[in-house]
Amino acid sequence: MPEALLSARGVSVRFGGLTAVNGVDLDVHPGELVGIIGPNGAGKTTFFHTLSGVLKPTEGRLMVAGDDLTGRAPYVYAAHGVARTFQTPRVFRDMPAGENVRFALEFAGRLRKHKHDAFDDVETILGFLGLTEMAAVPAGALTPARQRLLEIGVALGARPRVLLLDEVAAGLTHTEVDATAQLIRRVRDELGVAVIWIEHAVRVLMNYVERVAVLHQGAKIADGDPRAVAKAPEVIEAYLGEEGAPERIAA
Amino acid sequence: MRGVPLALALTAAGGLVLATLPWLLSDFLLALALSCLMFAALAVSWSMFCGPTNYLSLATSAFFGLGAYVTAWGLESMPYGLTVLVGGLVGAAFAALIGLAVLHLRGAYFAVITFGLTELTLHSVTYIEKTYSNTAGRIISEAPENTVIYWTVLAVTLLAVATAILVRASRLGFALSGIGGDEERAQTLGVNTRRVKVIAFSLSAFFPGALGAAMAVRWTYIEPLSVFNPFIGFQTVLIAMVGGAHTLLGPIVSSVFFSLLTEFLRLRFPYAFLIVLGLLLVVLVLYLPGGLASLFVRRGRQHA
Amino acid sequence: MGFWLELAASGLITGGIYAVVAIGLNLQYGLMRIMNISHGEFLMLGAYLTWLAHTTLKINPIVLLPVVAIALFLLGVVVYRLCFRRIARAAPTVEVIEARSLLVGFGLMFLVQNTVNLIWGADLRGYSFMAEPVDIGGARFMANRLLVFGFAVAASLGLLALLRWTMIGKAVRAMMQSPTGAQLVGVDTGTLHPVVFGAGLALAGVAGGLLSMVYEISPSMGEPYTVTALIVITLGGLGSAIGSLLGGFLLGLVEAFGMHFTNPSLKMVLSYGVLVAVLVARPKGLFAR
Repeated sequence: MPEALLSARGVSVRFGGLTAVNGVDLDVHPGELVGIIGPNGAGKTTFFHTLSGVLKPTEGRLMVAGDDLTGRAPYVYAAHGVARTFQTPRVFRDMPAGENVRFALEFAGRLRKHKHDAFDDVETILGFLGLTEMAAVPAGALTPARQRLLEIGVALGARPRVLLLDEVAAGLTHTEVDATAQLIRRVRDELGVAVIWIEHAVRVLMNYVERVAVLHQGAKIADGDPRAVAKAPEVIEAYLGEEGAPERIAA
Repeated sequence: MRGVPLALALTAAGGLVLATLPWLLSDFLLALALSCLMFAALAVSWSMFCGPTNYLSLATSAFFGLGAYVTAWGLESMPYGLTVLVGGLVGAAFAALIGLAVLHLRGAYFAVITFGLTELTLHSVTYIEKTYSNTAGRIISEAPENTVIYWTVLAVTLLAVATAILVRASRLGFALSGIGGDEERAQTLGVNTRRVKVIAFSLSAFFPGALGAAMAVRWTYIEPLSVFNPFIGFQTVLIAMVGGAHTLLGPIVSSVFFSLLTEFLRLRFPYAFLIVLGLLLVVLVLYLPGGLASLFVRRGRQHA
Repeated sequence: MGFWLELAASGLITGGIYAVVAIGLNLQYGLMRIMNISHGEFLMLGAYLTWLAHTTLKINPIVLLPVVAIALFLLGVVVYRLCFRRIARAAPTVEVIEARSLLVGFGLMFLVQNTVNLIWGADLRGYSFMAEPVDIGGARFMANRLLVFGFAVAASLGLLALLRWTMIGKAVRAMMQSPTGAQLVGVDTGTLHPVVFGAGLALAGVAGGLLSMVYEISPSMGEPYTVTALIVITLGGLGSAIGSLLGGFLLGLVEAFGMHFTNPSLKMVLSYGVLVAVLVARPKGLFAR
């Protein structure tokens, strides 16, 4: 088993009396496509914040390729090859789409010493996402769906080793969701980038990932093959009460 | 970047033309030109940092005043040119110091704290002068020739414009735009925002410091209240905002307009001048927050 | 003993005014994110109105206070409608609202202060009212200062009571905690905002009227109070009315004793030093939750 690329050990996040993330362990290896699911409020996005340095965990350690980055600033994580998208796309609204991607290439991209053949320029990235004609359009003027794609493009511009995607399929139609999922698969297959994918639309995710972790009330309650996880009683119970839960889990 | 050599060339050309003015203009007009240059340099250097990042800094008066005091304290032991340089360096150093402490704040907090710091500097210098030198103000006894002052200020202004051009085209400028767009996002994309902000803030503070040192010799008597006058900071912000802090030309054009306004209105009708200024500020912020430049530069809002 | 009492009392009296001014400014910021840096100018207007009416029409200044309050309330509503409402609507982020309202505030400050300068000049004006000394517990106080203190305390406590126990007060507090939530329950921001803004200005005006009874007035008298209000709010916490009350009195006392022991010109250094230090260390204020 190759060394873990991204490793969380006993990560907890507490805000005052509220425990958002509770002692989560997670290892992600190079080239893995891992999903993270869980009911609302399970702490998935908060966990992402710790994985990308946006939030310091109250407890626990975070390691990227063996380097302990616990408590470091987000740009250090970026320099080590961790790139992410946000639930609501955070693009530089006044900058043209192409400039947004160039931004990532200029900063995180340049800090990344490891050579990344496929994505060295704005045009290739935009082309990969089907946004070539939008290059000169201010990012704030794009439709939300296109902004989501641009978010992914910007994250790719940072030349990551591991990409954290936060609910990129939310609010999309079925066709769009499938297209996005295929895109994610291609990112992993063609670029060798590991992907950690949070998704609330569980069904699609389960079809595309090789491994899924389930968070519930901040703690990890399952981690493994999607089919096995879907049948696990604790997982079903966690989702019980959520509309359409059984259908959603039973891929 | 392609535009840069042209812009620099134009700046240099403009500089050459402006350098000939002492031989062409009367003393009065030359003083007017001097005032234009000063406002231009202040506005351009302020916009260098505050334009792309959308920070509102009211610390300009602090840097200016410190520079003035470098000259007041140092002119007897240093040549004029050196005091100007040191004034700039003091401004930059002070900015770096306070930047490290306060640049993590934003919005009105940052504005209020820079205002507070300026006042703190003013009152500290007043106190130090009273207690240790037993003076309320200082006399500048050996002022250089008017033409020398003019050329020095011109040089500082040209340097400010050139620096602004280079920053806008550089990675630093790009990073600043990202910080202004979404600072946390910029961090996740590899920008060490704290370092970038401190460097840029410090760089932009060099110019008001140098200007304060250069202009101090125009007044024979220097006291803290006049050189640390917070109005200098307000006026800089106003000029930059009227012109459009996101552009290069906006503040320059606006500063010419303002020096004329100041010259013809302030001395004759000081209160009316300030009333007009206040009115202008209010109307502008409400109806044209991007400044006059935003009338010319479209920031596309159509859906695509 | 009498001397210390007098010192403490004078600190509390100034502190009372600080508290009243700070609470007004605090409400404006907490509710609408408006950093009204021209607040002190309306205090100055209240002072001038009182002085003018008293010296020309010979009306008792105490009677004038409610008049000043109403006049400045109306002025506040107008100022809000003209100047600040638009900012809240047009600005993309809260930060921008804050920064722009700060700039508008500066503009208003120039406008108001210099209009007064233009009309009445920069010289000090004043009148004498209730300037007889009163003996309390071995210390002597001027009757007018006691009056000022009494009013300041009454106004502050009255406001706190209003905020805590009346529907309007609850609406204001709800809005400060959760703007959307409050609107969903039917709190009408269209009316609430101008009312609160006007109330803030009315408070400042009344404080100014009170001050005119004790001190001489000048067009630039307002600015120091704005600055002190900012310091008080920073100490007490933005959005916390009690914090402003306590912070105001605290600052008044610190100033009174500080000025006695150190060089008066150090007072400003201390004031701004405190402001800066607190803003850096705890941008949300010392007492904020």
